[in-house]
Amino acid sequence: MGRNYLCDTFVMIALIDCNSFYASCEQVFRPDLQGKPVVVLSNNDGCVIAANSEAKALSHIPMFEPVFKIKDQLIKNGVTFFSSNYTLYGEMSDRVMRILEEFSPLVEIYSIDESFIDLTGMQHQDLRAYGIAIKERIQRYTGLPVGVGIAPTKVLAKLANRRAKKEAGNDHVFVIDSEEKRLDTLHWAKIKDVWGIGKKHAQRIQETGRNSAFDFTQLPLSWVRKHMTVVGERTWRELQGENCLPLERAPKPKKAIGTAKSFGKKLEKLALIEEACSYYINEVSEVLRNQNCCANYLQIFLQTNYHSERDKQYHKSITVTLEVPTNNTFILNAEGKKALHKIFKPGYRYKKVGVCLSGIVPKEYVQTNLFATTDEKIGLMEAFDRINQKFGKTTLAPALMDARKVKQWELIKNERSPRYTTQWEELLCVV
Amino acid sequence: MEVTEFGKIKRAKPKHRAEVSMQTGFPSPATHYLERTIDLSEVLVKNKEATFFVRIGGSAWEDLGILKNDVLIIDRSLEFVRGKIALVVKDGAFEVMKFPASEEKEKMDSEAFELWGVITYVIHSL
Repeated sequence: MGRNYLCDTFVMIALIDCNSFYASCEQVFRPDLQGKPVVVLSNNDGCVIAANSEAKALSHIPMFEPVFKIKDQLIKNGVTFFSSNYTLYGEMSDRVMRILEEFSPLVEIYSIDESFIDLTGMQHQDLRAYGIAIKERIQRYTGLPVGVGIAPTKVLAKLANRRAKKEAGNDHVFVIDSEEKRLDTLHWAKIKDVWGIGKKHAQRIQETGRNSAFDFTQLPLSWVRKHMTVVGERTWRELQGENCLPLERAPKPKKAIGTAKSFGKKLEKLALIEEACSYYINEVSEVLRNQNCCANYLQIFLQTNYHSERDKQYHKSITVTLEVPTNNTFILNAEGKKALHKIFKPGYRYKKVGVCLSGIVPKEYVQTNLFATTDEKIGLMEAFDRINQKFGKTTLAPALMDARKVKQWELIKNERSPRYTTQWEELLCVV
Repeated sequence: MEVTEFGKIKRAKPKHRAEVSMQTGFPSPATHYLERTIDLSEVLVKNKEATFFVRIGGSAWEDLGILKNDVLIIDRSLEFVRGKIALVVKDGAFEVMKFPASEEKEKMDSEAFELWGVITYVIHSL
């Protein structure tokens, strides 16, 4: 039977993504930087994590090198750099996602700057016009430029989005709504451009003389299944217009939640590392509670700066199995402290401490332990979270965290822009 | 036949206790007229996704009634039309601008500007 996906199924999916999102967020509030190169740096300003198209065009600057090596070059070329301002990016992202909800009842937030939305049942409308309306509303409301790709499957929508941006005449919107356009796009796209095909697989297929996404779809399914597992098979089918990756409304519960950031300066004292560790535990256990989950394992790791040649090197990690799965900040803190004491060795200059919670289970499924002495104060953590939501992060905190003191271990954020949309004291100021 | 009484089921405590107040009087005449207290962010912000707050740091726009340290509420979803004041960008710099009267229209066309957002309210602290 011929596969005419437009008749078989009425599914239509749009992929909307923001163009160089972090840099664009900064530029909304800095019109003087319009059309100029902008980069955003990682935590601790270590390296470049985002660049706008103008900055990418400066191809002679090795953007992947540590910032201290390329800083002079950036300045010489008039590149403006910002420390990452995730508070701002997160808030701007929320705005975009809420605008998308005006266009579709089903929005899957894929990442901070990317969303799939369901346009099923709309194939008789002018989808290109709809895509342009989405693009223009986001641009107008938030100032952020976006690209829109519309197609019958997620993988095709990704390709459509790519084409929307790469081909100048598309005006950042591209729709695959006919067999012709599907085949045309498959011929246009390289194998490595296909969402879900890794570098190694792409290389391997290309070595056999196949280059385009179309060539990939001509491979026998049995080969794909054998060499690229079910993941490859799904991609293959999606490219044919067959839906294998449905939209997901709620994000999947995470398998592990972790955080590890470098200290602003090297730390030697256990007390300060304890404080940082406690801060991270506080952060991740809050995420856990938001998801209504508990963790089985708590992992703590500690390391020195492995880039440094004059420092003695040490790194160690320890995993604690919790008596009963929990999301209680205080229990985790106590366990974390014990664990940290086990791996801490004096005499080193530490660069980073990390916390990772794993073995995550929904709260309702927590297996209690016959021998455990659970003395959990019901409602305590709830009250704790509510107070912090109302009066600001870390209004209440475990004493170990010592929230009032200046955090010696905190990240250096030299070039961070104001938190324009979340802090009354940091509003955009026009003179 | 003898009926054995295995301890009577005790009556629950009487519901009225001194430490718990019970409403027994006349019900509030406002019961059916209750409305929510005014919420300024609801009144002043019609389109949350498109609304930004911007502080004014200078005295350049006093003739438009916008003073230093005022906070503008800006709704980017609105059209810039006659009678409106907006934040615009000219030569890469922010500026506050009133939509010009028709005789000035030509002058405005010659001056290139980009609309940033229409100002809906000004918050002025006394």
